[in-house]
Amino acid sequence: MATQAAPGAGTRLFHPHFEGHDQISARTLGFWLYMLSDALLFTGLFLAYAVLNNPMGAAGGPIATQIVNPVEGMWQTYAVLGSVAAYSLATVALKKGSMVGVMAGIVISILLALVFLGYEVHDLMGLMAQGHGPDSSGFLSAFFVLIATHGLHMVFGILWMIVMLVQIPTLGFSPNVVARLLNLRMFWQFQATVWVLVYVYVYMIGAF
Amino acid sequence: MRLKLSALKPLATLPALLALAGCDTGNYRLFHPLTAVAKVQWWATLFEAGIMSLIIVPTAILIAWFIWRYRKSANAKYDPAWSHSLVLEVLVWGVPLVIVAICSLISIRTTLDVEPYAPAVLAKNPADTAPLDIDVIATDWQWLFIYPQQHVAAIDELVVPENSVVHLRLTSTAVVNDFFIPQIAPMIDVMPGMRTEDTFDTPDPGSYTGFSADFSGAGFSWMQFHTHIVTPAGFGAWVAQAAASPVQLSYQEFTKLAQPTVNEGNKPSYFSNAASNLFDNVVTAAQAGVVYPVPDNVTKQVASLEDGGTAATTK
Amino acid sequence: MQVAIQGPWSPLLGRLTLSAIPYTNPILVGTFAVAALIALVVAGAVLYYKKLGYLWREWLTTVDHKKIGVMYIIVGLVMFFRAFVDGLMMRTQQAMAIGPHSPGVLGAQHGYLPPFHFDQVYSAHGTIMILFAATPLLTGLTNVVVPLQIGARDMAFPYMNALSLWLTTAGAILVMLSLFVGDFSSAGWVGLIPLTELPYSPGVGVDYWMWAIQISSIGTTLNAINMIVTIIKMRAPGMGWFRVPVFTWTTLSTNIIGLTAFPILGVVLALLGADRYLGTHFFTAGNGGNLMLYTNMFWIWGHPEVYFLVLPAFGIFSEIIPTFSEKPLFGYTTMVAATFAIAGISWAVWLHHFFTMGAGADVNGFFSIATMLVGIPTGVKVFNWMFTLYRGRLTFTTPMLWALAGLFLLLVGGITGMMLAIPAINYTVHNSVFVIAHFHCMVLLVAAAIFAGVVYWFPKVFGFQLDEKNGLMFFWSFITATAIVFTAMFALGFQGETRRLDYIFNPAWRPMLWTEEAGMMLYLVSIFYFLRMLYVSLRDRVPVASDPWGTARTLEFLTHSPVPFYNFAVTPQVNARDELAWRREHGLDKAQPEAFEPIHMPSNTGVPIIIGMLSLTLGFGLIWRIWWMAGFSLLAIIIAVIIRSFDKNLGYELKPEEVAAMERNLATASIIAEQPARTPLTEAEAH
Ligand code: HEA
Ligand code: HEA
Ligand code: CUA
Ligand SMILES: [Cu+2]
Repeated sequence: MATQAAPGAGTRLFHPHFEGHDQISARTLGFWLYMLSDALLFTGLFLAYAVLNNPMGAAGGPIATQIVNPVEGMWQTYAVLGSVAAYSLATVALKKGSMVGVMAGIVISILLALVFLGYEVHDLMGLMAQGHGPDSSGFLSAFFVLIATHGLHMVFGILWMIVMLVQIPTLGFSPNVVARLLNLRMFWQFQATVWVLVYVYVYMIGAF
Repeated sequence: MRLKLSALKPLATLPALLALAGCDTGNYRLFHPLTAVAKVQWWATLFEAGIMSLIIVPTAILIAWFIWRYRKSANAKYDPAWSHSLVLEVLVWGVPLVIVAICSLISIRTTLDVEPYAPAVLAKNPADTAPLDIDVIATDWQWLFIYPQQHVAAIDELVVPENSVVHLRLTSTAVVNDFFIPQIAPMIDVMPGMRTEDTFDTPDPGSYTGFSADFSGAGFSWMQFHTHIVTPAGFGAWVAQAAASPVQLSYQEFTKLAQPTVNEGNKPSYFSNAASNLFDNVVTAAQAGVVYPVPDNVTKQVASLEDGGTAATTK
Repeated sequence: MQVAIQGPWSPLLGRLTLSAIPYTNPILVGTFAVAALIALVVAGAVLYYKKLGYLWREWLTTVDHKKIGVMYIIVGLVMFFRAFVDGLMMRTQQAMAIGPHSPGVLGAQHGYLPPFHFDQVYSAHGTIMILFAATPLLTGLTNVVVPLQIGARDMAFPYMNALSLWLTTAGAILVMLSLFVGDFSSAGWVGLIPLTELPYSPGVGVDYWMWAIQISSIGTTLNAINMIVTIIKMRAPGMGWFRVPVFTWTTLSTNIIGLTAFPILGVVLALLGADRYLGTHFFTAGNGGNLMLYTNMFWIWGHPEVYFLVLPAFGIFSEIIPTFSEKPLFGYTTMVAATFAIAGISWAVWLHHFFTMGAGADVNGFFSIATMLVGIPTGVKVFNWMFTLYRGRLTFTTPMLWALAGLFLLLVGGITGMMLAIPAINYTVHNSVFVIAHFHCMVLLVAAAIFAGVVYWFPKVFGFQLDEKNGLMFFWSFITATAIVFTAMFALGFQGETRRLDYIFNPAWRPMLWTEEAGMMLYLVSIFYFLRMLYVSLRDRVPVASDPWGTARTLEFLTHSPVPFYNFAVTPQVNARDELAWRREHGLDKAQPEAFEPIHMPSNTGVPIIIGMLSLTLGFGLIWRIWWMAGFSLLAIIIAVIIRSFDKNLGYELKPEEVAAMERNLATASIIAEQPARTPLTEAEAH
């Protein structure tokens, strides 16, 4: 086969200056793969939701039309998208090397994410107060767990941002910090995407 | 296109011969199908094993031969560069493809033939009488058979008339079981809150053992039931005997029976006046969240001589 | 919102009470005594020889892929042995408890294990064998071999690699702990639903099963990411995709399966956990739950999982058969294509595990055909190995014998798998021991590949060979035992024996059950030879050349045996698919690099093992519902991750003179050598 040739004058056996691999690109690929696994996790949850979102799964309790409010969900969507936008501004500032800019962007991003979570907690508590907790039917279990898993991802994102707020002034824009900021951007955009899917599938399609 | 199964019959003799060579196969229940449904299953087994042997056996022989032929000490022809051949590479994909295609045809045909809800083999020569309907409820760890038309019921004993068709509806009170009578009825899952169906024809009179084939907790190993195929007259007599039972099977009575119980030796018991909607009630109850819990201490006592032991759970 | 549970609970100890310790069970007390004795001897030896520091610095905190791989293999072997004992216990119970008049001892009515114990034994056996024996053993082998085979210095993420190991180990420890503290699940390795729901499994058994798998499968997912990135990004110069060795290819495909399948397992276990801890109704029979959802989701992971095991095994065969046939692998391209075909189809066949659920003939028919399609690429592999033998020059070393025996196991497992794939047949043998015999042929093929791989690569890592004489005895006794046990089991399948029986209601099965027991005795003999093989090899330690077999073909045999901790002093340039064979053919295999360059290495770190042990306490806290312990562990894990992210350690550099010295005296660079403390690079030096 063509992959095999006889050694000639130019044949090399060793490659002394080979610098191993490109750390940043390996790290980015790794993070993409992690997000793929996270996407599969959400696929599993969507699957459970799709199977249980019907009168059978509601077991006499409410189904999606009765508990979701596409308008309220819209405010949440704005908050998430706003948070992503703020983070994008932070990345723009990162390109300029502005520490203040990056940190300001992250702070706004955190605040908007907190608004999102506030809505969510309020919604879920309200449902529980009405006796529609996750333990009342298969449908409600799937609804709560889907929403809460996304919410937990948001909490971890916020935690990560807080860590970055400490690292930027203490470590400066070292390669590690920059790589983390970029991965965090991917993570954040990914969570926004998941939320949009949740919004479309649960709040919009479910409401009609 | 319909595959002529009979055309493949000679093939099937190979594993059958192997299996029969020299040893008594009386214990090999699956080798002795009795009903039309079970016969299709056995033929499917033979065909599949035969067709696969067509490629597996020569492969095994070739590998063994190469191992022998090309051992280093044999100094056979050595070709250190040979690692590619277009013809062979097409063949290694092509031959299995053809065989899988044949297997697929067999698979589809036989699956339709024995489809538990409506087996095509039985449709081919329909019986003159309507199928006998029986409702089956699996509890932890017994089988309850309800005869809705005869209004009787029995635990751990299934009695059906010879040469007729039986149609079962099955559900479970607690966990998943699997209904199976080797040689006679194909396996089907029995699930709480759901109903499945199973259909089979009956052979000449005889007695067989049916059992649960899906693990369902500590009492599972004792979850067999007697299957008696009887004459129509015998069936009538059995129904009359059951109808004479003083115990009437209401839903109330049923909830008592359905508590976790190991019935060692599968001693049958009979009920008269079986409530006609009992089966549906059990399904609806399970859907509404009724459970028959098995606390740890019950599990621990099954077939155990420690802490009080078996007596607590055995009738 | 937390659901009420039966039995006592206290804030300090959760559900844990003295009665959770089975001090009245003679079998478990005996086991505990033996385990404690072994632990004491090991600990004593470590302290006596003052090796504690060495152990911590060189092993427990290591990020070296070879050491991590070796530790994976040790964990896997210990768990393999444990699960074998489970198998022996099951077989012995079934050989004793036959018929209503069979006697009982040790508190059992029949045999010596009442169902309460027996059911835990087979559940533990299956869980351990698949997830804590076969998986770590294969992960260990890929960890050791793949970076060497592609000419890399380490995995892409050495730190994460250590983390994966310690998460897997934490899961394994949890399973072992269930022996002595509480109970294990009795609902099978698949977690039969709704048996695993609280009403039917109110104890901690299911929780042990669930959390042990959950924790270790996070480790497996991380390892999959690591492997995929390593293979994509870190191949030596010249190694284009068409020169990647087949074992590396199969590792890539298997880890793609791992990465995509394990998250589904994580979800399904988490939802089961929600049912058990929060009272949700995902999989309950009532209140709108759907138990078939569990079964589908479990097998959407479960089926790809078995190919996750078998693909690396195929990779090992594809390395060993050419080496000992002294020929290149036949049909490299089709081999790689077949690998990915198997991985691809494995996603579309899960329903064959429950044909009997009453789905229509159309659904069953579809999945039947999809399942049988896997036979085509698998057949391609078999034929390619067969043609590799053709006109070869075969030597029957133990790795080769294991590989060839594996081929025959594959044929038997394959034909029976194809039979199971036909619904009409499946309706008669589903859940019978016929199924058990089918998949034991397959998993023992995996075991054969593991033994083959261990013997094949052992000298590479340690610099001396495993004793062939005892190795052969081990091989023959193990394979004969396998043939005896599983031939009898196929027969019992046709006699209609169901799986998971604590008590055998049909005395007609006795002859075959006793035949199986005889096979088990032979397995005991095989373990004796295995241990003797280890002992003799360790005693004699005959040093070997860089290619101990003389006919190896791939890159890992180019560097020294034992492999220095930096793998290759200078990264090799790849010129051919079978690089070493190519160099040997052209008389270049002895060529050495002329000059050395500095080598950048990662520093060791204790964080992975700390996080691993914290996940152990997290799991333990969750299992026993000791909320403070679980909460504290989770918090500590988060803090550890954050602290680690502030770490400025940039690794260290080996100077060319140092490398040259170690290349001259390999013992100083071997896997067991102790390295001097090395100062990490400063920010300035790194740039
Ligand atoms: C990788 C997977 C794997 C492997 C290798 C095995 C190996 C074996 N298994 Fe398997 N088994 C399963 C996976 C596996 N099993 C699963 C998933 C189930 C289903 C569980 C369920 O129903 O839920 C099952 C169920 C199962 C049953 C079914 C019980 C039943 O349902 O009725 C039985 C019964 O005989 C059995 C027996 C055996 C035996 C005898 C071996 C032997 O082949 C073992 C041979 C091993 C050795 C001889 C040990 C060698 C060890 C060393 C060399 C290391 C020594 C190291 C030290 C001393 C440190 N197993
Ligand atoms: C490593 C593990 C492994 C592997 C590789 C396989 C491979 C296969 N398995 Fe198996 N299987 C298991 C492990 C494995 N299995 C386990 C653990 C279970 C039970 C779990 C439980 O319930 O506890 C199981 C159960 C199981 C079932 C469900 C049984 C039941 O519960 O009722 C089925 C049904 O279709 C099946 C089919 C197959 C098929 C068709 C293959 C195929 O991939 C085989 C392909 C190979 C060949 C066909 C041979 C080589 C080919 C040739 C020489 C060419 C010629 C071939 C043709 C022309 C087709 N397996
Ligand atoms: Cu499976 Cu209902
Ligand atoms: Cu499968």
